[in-house]
Amino acid sequence: MHENTQGLRWLRATAYNAFAVGLGILAGLAVVVYAGGNIEVALSSLFLDPIRSSGGIQQLFVLFVMFYTMALGVGLALKAGLWNIGAQGQFLAGTVMVFFVYIYLGFLPWPILYVAMILGAAIGGLLWITVPTILRVKFGANEIVVTILLNVVAINFGFYMLSGPIKSPGTALGFPITTTLPARFQIPNIVASVPITYAVPATVAIGVIFYFLVERTPFRVKANTVGESAETARYAGISIPRVMAITLLTAGALAGLAGATYMMGYRYELDIGSFSTNYGLLAIIVALVGRKHMLGIGIAAFFFAYITFGAESMAVATNVNSVVVFAMEGVMMIGILMGNYLTERKKAA
Amino acid sequence: MTVNLSDVAIAVLSTTLTLSPFYLFAGMGEIVSEKSGVANMGLEGIMLMSLVTTFIVDYLTGNPWIALFAAIGTAGVIGAVFAFFAIQVRLDQIALGLAIYLFGLGFSLIVFNAAYPTGIFPNYISLPPIYSGWGTVPVIGTILLEQNVLVYLSIALVVITALFLNRTSLGLRVRAVGENPKAADNMGVNVPKVRFLATLFGALMFGVAGSYFAGNFVPGFQTNIIAGRGFIVLAMIYFGNWKPYRVLFAALSFNMVYALQNEYISISGSSVASVSTLFNMLPYVFLLALIPVFGRKARAPKFLLKPYKKG
Repeated sequence: MHENTQGLRWLRATAYNAFAVGLGILAGLAVVVYAGGNIEVALSSLFLDPIRSSGGIQQLFVLFVMFYTMALGVGLALKAGLWNIGAQGQFLAGTVMVFFVYIYLGFLPWPILYVAMILGAAIGGLLWITVPTILRVKFGANEIVVTILLNVVAINFGFYMLSGPIKSPGTALGFPITTTLPARFQIPNIVASVPITYAVPATVAIGVIFYFLVERTPFRVKANTVGESAETARYAGISIPRVMAITLLTAGALAGLAGATYMMGYRYELDIGSFSTNYGLLAIIVALVGRKHMLGIGIAAFFFAYITFGAESMAVATNVNSVVVFAMEGVMMIGILMGNYLTERKKAA
Repeated sequence: MTVNLSDVAIAVLSTTLTLSPFYLFAGMGEIVSEKSGVANMGLEGIMLMSLVTTFIVDYLTGNPWIALFAAIGTAGVIGAVFAFFAIQVRLDQIALGLAIYLFGLGFSLIVFNAAYPTGIFPNYISLPPIYSGWGTVPVIGTILLEQNVLVYLSIALVVITALFLNRTSLGLRVRAVGENPKAADNMGVNVPKVRFLATLFGALMFGVAGSYFAGNFVPGFQTNIIAGRGFIVLAMIYFGNWKPYRVLFAALSFNMVYALQNEYISISGSSVASVSTLFNMLPYVFLLALIPVFGRKARAPKFLLKPYKKG
């Protein structure tokens, strides 16, 4: 009986989420129709483009890795009631660090430098969230406000690094771009002909490790207690600063790591185009849709990668600006929040 | 190269004031909203939609005043949707705010592209200075007398907001539903209604801010043109401890640091991007540095972000 009601609840939650996504897609289609686009073309690119070409598959898995890595961190912090709105800034710090290490530690031999670049990116993200963490833990300053501020700083900092310290010496004067990483510093495909890199299994492995470290240990309860009530946490003898610091710093390191996989597994060079990506913000939605659960986030990440790339190709195919994706995801997010609310209410009833 | 210091001072002070209405209208709106217990993180999305509305209506009517009120209308509609979901349905305010932001981020450009398919941008007629003949008055002419009317209104709004929150019974009710909605409810205050009105007022002010962005910050329109300036308002409020005059101080000092670095870059004539980008960080780093100093005593309304359910 218990199993049955649980199954029912899961089914209901899925139905609500599907409805929310449908709503978002409808909003996108409305824009396409208004712009005079062909609805058949729109639908086929939305649903099939992520799987029907090798370019599509590549994009799908790049987005999946981005969303999964960053949302793990965002979700972990959310468990402790902390909003890391700054994943985008930490991600940018990570991308910058990849090239910083590549250039300034260039004397290291290949395998060591390779690892150092990945670790450097994680450390970059970690450093970027250190200020909000200290301000939060030591001064009680609101982490939302500080991480948002640091997103703006990250963009300017990235511009600065690009126009000087990590700028490619070979480019035209003033053009801010790094050198392209040579092939041996790129993350290779698992099968040469299929554009799925080793970053994908590595990310899934990280997700599984986090599942066991977080969901299957007392840490889950500790974090949740801190997130729900500081008073209860104190009463239970949980060190609130410690839980906060661990979750926030981990979130920063993961977002930085995403910067490494993005640079070394996909873009290979850093220019201002990477600054206007919005993965950090979308990772928050992914974490919420995955209900802060380390495995749920993986599923949500794949799903959102699919929808995001599908919607982008839909926009290209129908000559609509690809920002329509943001509008669609905004609508989806409201729908999903509604769905969560309705599911919780049924549970409470 | 000789630099006339008094010219620099005038330019800096003038820019400081010119940029202020954006932060002050948004800041006062968000203060009132947050005092009632509702944080609207979708403010930048609302501003983007208001900005686009301003451009379109300004172009159609040639009247910046009508454009301003149309922008306020757009903001009101989105604000009402936000308020409904946040207060009646009791969705998570932060997540909902981000959803509204994403929506505005995408939809504003879609609307803009639909209005101007060629991508050619029409002339924007901005609100005129109250009286342009005063520019000749030494020193204070350009700084104080030649500003746009919204500059004066925004400073008046700070005073009005402070008086409203601290001296009026409706202001008391706004604070009550943010500090202790249960007690307020017991005393016969309609909690959802007060919260709804406060949140709606906030959104309307975001409309003014978004509209003011046109012609006073970056020209034209593109994706993410406000670039986080809306979110900065949240930091200013935090730094200002939800007090209108302190938020005024935060906004003015932030703008002054901005104006100073801007002026420095243009005087030094440095075209090196690396220098200017480093200086562009200053206002934000300045605000950040103030947080451990002044933010320590910051105390948010007790029921901020917490939905209220009767019974």
